[in-house]
Amino acid sequence: MTLCTLLVEDDRELRRTLREALTVEGYRVLSAASLADALAQHAQALREGGVDIALVDLGLPDGDGSTLLEALQRGRPTPVIVISARQAEHAKVQLLDAGADDYLVKPFSLAELLARMRVALRHRGTRLAAAVTRYAQAGVSIELAARRVRRDGRDVHLTPTEFALLARLVRQAGQVVTHRALLADVWGPEFVEHTHYLRLYMAQLRAKLEAQPADPRLLLTEPGVGYRLAEGETDADASAAAIHMRS
Amino acid sequence: MKPAPPVATPPVATPPASSPAVAAAEAGSPWPRAWRPGRAGLRGLSVWAVTWALLSGLDRTLDLGNLALLLVLGAAIAALWLRPWPAVLACAGSVLVFNVAFVPPRGALAVDLHAHALLLATVLGVSVIVSLLMARQRALLAHAQRHALHAEQRRRLGEALRGADDAAALARALQQALQTEGRAEAAIWLPQLEDAPAPGTADAGQRIGTVDEAGWMALRLCVQLRRPMGPGLGWHEELAAWALPLRGATAADGQPECLGAAWVPLPCEPATAASLPVLAGHAQSLCDLAGAALAHGAAQRLAVAARDTAQLQTLRSTLLAAVAHDHRTPLATILGAATSLQDQGERLSPAQRRQLAATIADEAAQLSRLTDNTLQLARLDTAGVRLQLDWQSAEELVGSVLRRVRQRDPGHRVRARVEHGLPLLRCDAVLIVQLLENLVDNALRHAGGDEPVEVLARRIDGRLLLAVRDRGPGVPPAERTRLFQPFARGSQPVPSTDGGRRGAGIGLAVCQAIARVHDGELRYRARGHGGASFECLLPLHAPPAGART
Repeated sequence: MTLCTLLVEDDRELRRTLREALTVEGYRVLSAASLADALAQHAQALREGGVDIALVDLGLPDGDGSTLLEALQRGRPTPVIVISARQAEHAKVQLLDAGADDYLVKPFSLAELLARMRVALRHRGTRLAAAVTRYAQAGVSIELAARRVRRDGRDVHLTPTEFALLARLVRQAGQVVTHRALLADVWGPEFVEHTHYLRLYMAQLRAKLEAQPADPRLLLTEPGVGYRLAEGETDADASAAAIHMRS
Repeated sequence: MKPAPPVATPPVATPPASSPAVAAAEAGSPWPRAWRPGRAGLRGLSVWAVTWALLSGLDRTLDLGNLALLLVLGAAIAALWLRPWPAVLACAGSVLVFNVAFVPPRGALAVDLHAHALLLATVLGVSVIVSLLMARQRALLAHAQRHALHAEQRRRLGEALRGADDAAALARALQQALQTEGRAEAAIWLPQLEDAPAPGTADAGQRIGTVDEAGWMALRLCVQLRRPMGPGLGWHEELAAWALPLRGATAADGQPECLGAAWVPLPCEPATAASLPVLAGHAQSLCDLAGAALAHGAAQRLAVAARDTAQLQTLRSTLLAAVAHDHRTPLATILGAATSLQDQGERLSPAQRRQLAATIADEAAQLSRLTDNTLQLARLDTAGVRLQLDWQSAEELVGSVLRRVRQRDPGHRVRARVEHGLPLLRCDAVLIVQLLENLVDNALRHAGGDEPVEVLARRIDGRLLLAVRDRGPGVPPAERTRLFQPFARGSQPVPSTDGGRRGAGIGLAVCQAIARVHDGELRYRARGHGGASFECLLPLHAPPAGART
């Protein structure tokens, strides 16, 4: 069964380009040019099995696209990728903390969009179902259940806080996790302003897991927003599993 | 001798000492300052009374010469308190009575001996001189005290004016300063606060305090003609109060500019005609202080507005130049490649089509970075730019730069060298990453060939050095001075393999602006064995508590 994408974008050219590109990739695309249109399409789609992923532009003629976030979580939670020309980092952080899965600033390449969509689909439902618990990339393998981290076949010892931080990133591998979310989940809600904790623990994690800490391949920084653990090697299996789960 | 009484109030403004209300004057009376001189007059008269009592008591005990000395002593002491002419009159009268009562032949005005005549003349002369000297001394003291009081009032007003941040606050400070000397509340009119028509022709502006219709007319006239008027000022003497202009610096026409006017009620203590101009002068000096402050504020606002306008102009020309210079070139390439695909699509080989598509993608990416830089420069050049400051790690900043440039760096020419154990840096991460990315882009373009590009982070003299270094040809000395100006570009052809790409455009200007808003500096250094090094030095601050956990 093909995956259904809701594309909310008011620029006609960009909407057409994206729709065609996504159709070529095998997605069924519902496109909308306004908030009202998007809500109607979403309601209609819910009766026919729902939307698998939504791409939402922020500046829409009848309001801000971010107001859709709530509606899209109703019924069956839908991953949302925000696409916008707004570059301000605090706006990204706000949207991510409000439930958006990812954020792409225009202009972006199709490859980038497809990669983000793939990751978002893989994590679909993880807020309800079991999270990703295994991760492997660039010689590093992580098994959350067994609390085991290996690099090049050798066990790596992590402190409890380091492990908690890494585990939080593994659960959303490939997606950006905001500073605030990391601090709240690992240290506690009263520590959300202590970004310097993150700097120090991320430096320690990189020293233990990266070949070149100054040129990281796994623990990536999104300046002003948060951190992203590079996509794992098990994408294909996971996506397949997700699709299987749904159908 | 008794100590001199307090003379805080000018004695020239004293009511006649014989006022019947004197006896009723108490320390707690509503106008103690006005009554005190009356009490002084009473004291002078009592001195005379005591003197005469002594004279009659000691008659026959002392000889005539000693009695005359007693009279001189009494005149001198009484002169301490009496005003000059009453003192002189009292002297003359006393000498007359002394002549009749004590100088033989007693009971008559006649003086029988030349010696007695000389004695009387001497007593009269000395008494008058002492009285006049005392009066003069007292006037001098009063003048000095008034002077000091006025200087203090001016100082306080100056302080209040410095603390005021708008014209209305200035006016209120002046109003408060004029509130002294027991007068009613002053009113102030500032006609030029808004862009009113010519001053004085309209009721526009700001009024502080209340003023009646006559006063209002006077204020308008006062602003129009820029001169003070009112009682004692030789112009419109009939007014109930002074209308004083708030004068600023001298304008182009040689007259002082007038920024408003104050309606100043007369001091409540009765003033003599002679003292009015002095007090008005003081009030005028307070008004002029406020006028100068107003003029200064207006000049400052003008300067800020002029600077903003100039900045806006610079910004506009920067943006126009950005569009003209740097944006059109990638656009031309994109349009060329796209129309070629559109029109010649079938006649091109698949490899040619792929090449054209890749060109479009590359140029669009370049245009996107250029737009980011242009917008950033515009943002950083406006006043009051707000940074998203946070504690950042140099390693992470360098890491994100490397990841961002990786696509444009297929040969992995860019390497990072980050000193171990660097302290956290207080900065805006997005800006610093943009700075380093621009420098790396620049190095990749200009170093040419397969020359490596190094991103370096280390501590140097308590500051953090972020440097991007290459082994390319470097920047010729002639071009180094304008390296960081927007749209400066190297004159020499870029010896790179990618076919003479365009120069940095506004990239380096943005880098410098980013360094500047972080209180850092960006400089160029030619490397010892050839090559360019762009070095950004940023201040290091004390890390937050708990940063070393």
